[in-house]
Amino acid sequence: MRRNGFFSPARISVIAGHTFTQLVRMKVFYFLVVFALLMLATSFFEMPWSRVTEDSAEQELIILKSTAMGAMAMFSALFAIAATALLIPKDLEDRTLYTILSKPVPRLDYLLGKLVGVLMLVAVSLLLMDALLTVILHFRTEELLAAEMEKGKGLGWPQQYLDIRREAISQQGVTWDLQAGIAAIFFKAMIMASIALLISTFSSSTLFTIVIAVVIYFIGHFTADARNYWLHSQKEGVSKEIKFLSQSAALIFPDFQLYNVIDATIEGKKINSGIISRLAVLALFYSGIYSVLAWFTFRKKEF
Amino acid sequence: MEVTPAVQIDHLVKDFPSPFRKSKVRAVDDVSLTIMPGEVYGLIGPNGSGKSTTMKALLGLLAPTAGSCHVFGKNSMKTDSRQEIGFLPENPYFYKHLSGEETLRFYAKLCGMRGKEVKSRVEEMLEMVSLQDARKRRLGGYSKGMLQRIGLAQALIHAPRLLILDEPTAGVDPVGSRLIRDLIVGLKGRGVTIFLCSHLLEQVQEVCDNVGIIFNGKIVKEGKLAELIAIESQTEVVIKNASPRTLARIRDVISESQSAEFVREGKPKTTLERIFLEEARKSDADNGPPPPEEPAPPTATQPQEKGDPHA
Repeated sequence: MRRNGFFSPARISVIAGHTFTQLVRMKVFYFLVVFALLMLATSFFEMPWSRVTEDSAEQELIILKSTAMGAMAMFSALFAIAATALLIPKDLEDRTLYTILSKPVPRLDYLLGKLVGVLMLVAVSLLLMDALLTVILHFRTEELLAAEMEKGKGLGWPQQYLDIRREAISQQGVTWDLQAGIAAIFFKAMIMASIALLISTFSSSTLFTIVIAVVIYFIGHFTADARNYWLHSQKEGVSKEIKFLSQSAALIFPDFQLYNVIDATIEGKKINSGIISRLAVLALFYSGIYSVLAWFTFRKKEF
Repeated sequence: MEVTPAVQIDHLVKDFPSPFRKSKVRAVDDVSLTIMPGEVYGLIGPNGSGKSTTMKALLGLLAPTAGSCHVFGKNSMKTDSRQEIGFLPENPYFYKHLSGEETLRFYAKLCGMRGKEVKSRVEEMLEMVSLQDARKRRLGGYSKGMLQRIGLAQALIHAPRLLILDEPTAGVDPVGSRLIRDLIVGLKGRGVTIFLCSHLLEQVQEVCDNVGIIFNGKIVKEGKLAELIAIESQTEVVIKNASPRTLARIRDVISESQSAEFVREGKPKTTLERIFLEEARKSDADNGPPPPEEPAPPTATQPQEKGDPHA
């Protein structure tokens, strides 16, 4: 007879693969068409004549990146929350959960399989959007560079200045820093999916899970500011209890401001690889905490 | 050597919290039952009597408030106990986006099977439930009877020693229902222990060795089916082609006996189900071979014998 361990990567991959197929067959990739249209529309955007400045080319590329990355961040967060919130209640409603849990499947494997499946979908979606952005951004950058160089030569700019302009425009094109920004979008979606997973283990409705997850998402964007303001307003210093309370709040509500590197990459700034590694570790830490809490709620849940 | 029971439920109690009351609702009240390997046990009772709760406790989907459930000696709350269990829930809705074959592959892999083992087992199961021709079709396009059969196949995919069935023929037409019953009889012949919950008494009577009757969460009667339904003081004799004179002589013989008493005489009645199946078979014969997704029931396993309208 087969022995069933507490945790089986093979079984998790079976559930994850199935969850991915389930979401793909729900035709969720249709949103990519919307993204593609958005990208094409933005790529034709040109700065109005009245606002043309020396760095118009960079501004156009920034607008393109900002639109794309904004859409990517929104789609991935929305996907991560909605798909995770939908899957477990749907399995319960359709009684497919009975047939899965009546097999030798530990409940931790089931939860992690669902989470990994959703994350696979988010990752594939981001890769496809990334590929599209990279292609459009590459051609747009080349186009703007050629126009800028032609304009510069016509105006008799010295070679040194032409090189500076080339460098400045290229920095707003396809770079590894931009890829780091997209990785940060994935990390945020990863945290949101695990939060939705935790809520769906005790929530009785999909809508409740989605609403609470979205509220946590927004709280996460200004939790750091709120905490700093509050701690600095304590005139007589910070007691141990208050410090503990503040740290606990930080654990419950992740600080999404840490992921503001996305904005920096849109502006074409350089991102230190150490920062991305730290963000990855932080995302794993938060997802781990929320998954353990989800398992803790789900392991004794009665159906 | 002592044989480990396939199912051992000891003083099972299950309470559910009531939303507007302090007291809890007792769904199962001190239920104990034992099913030995190879037996077919039928738990019958009306809706809300505690059948499904008992079954869910046995599957580890509910934790007992008191008492315990063991499957082949293993506590039902442990994942390992489910290695021996195949389960078909009432009205299962499997993943509609998967085909029949994909569904079986998914469940086989969940049970730890890999590679060739999955392939051969999926083939075997599709053949057993006569769904080879519908293997590539998505479950969204399956009929109720076909869904129930694919459900049975997924329950048996890992060759469990115990099969738990919750209303296996609920909502299925008589032909599909007969096919499922034939499959259960076949599994019984192969030594699979079956725990069947149903409120269709005729169905239970056809396939079960032992029966438990549950009312308001309590087992009110339990025992071997043959013993429970037999009227010990009476004997039934069915005679074919008897003339009125023969019948009169039989009555005379009985009246001559001091202890025996003639109770009644009449034509045995067949069942509506039997007439329906007979017509379905004739119709299939007239229209060529039955369609692959809803094949006619195999006649070899029909319990009716020639000239025995009671059977």
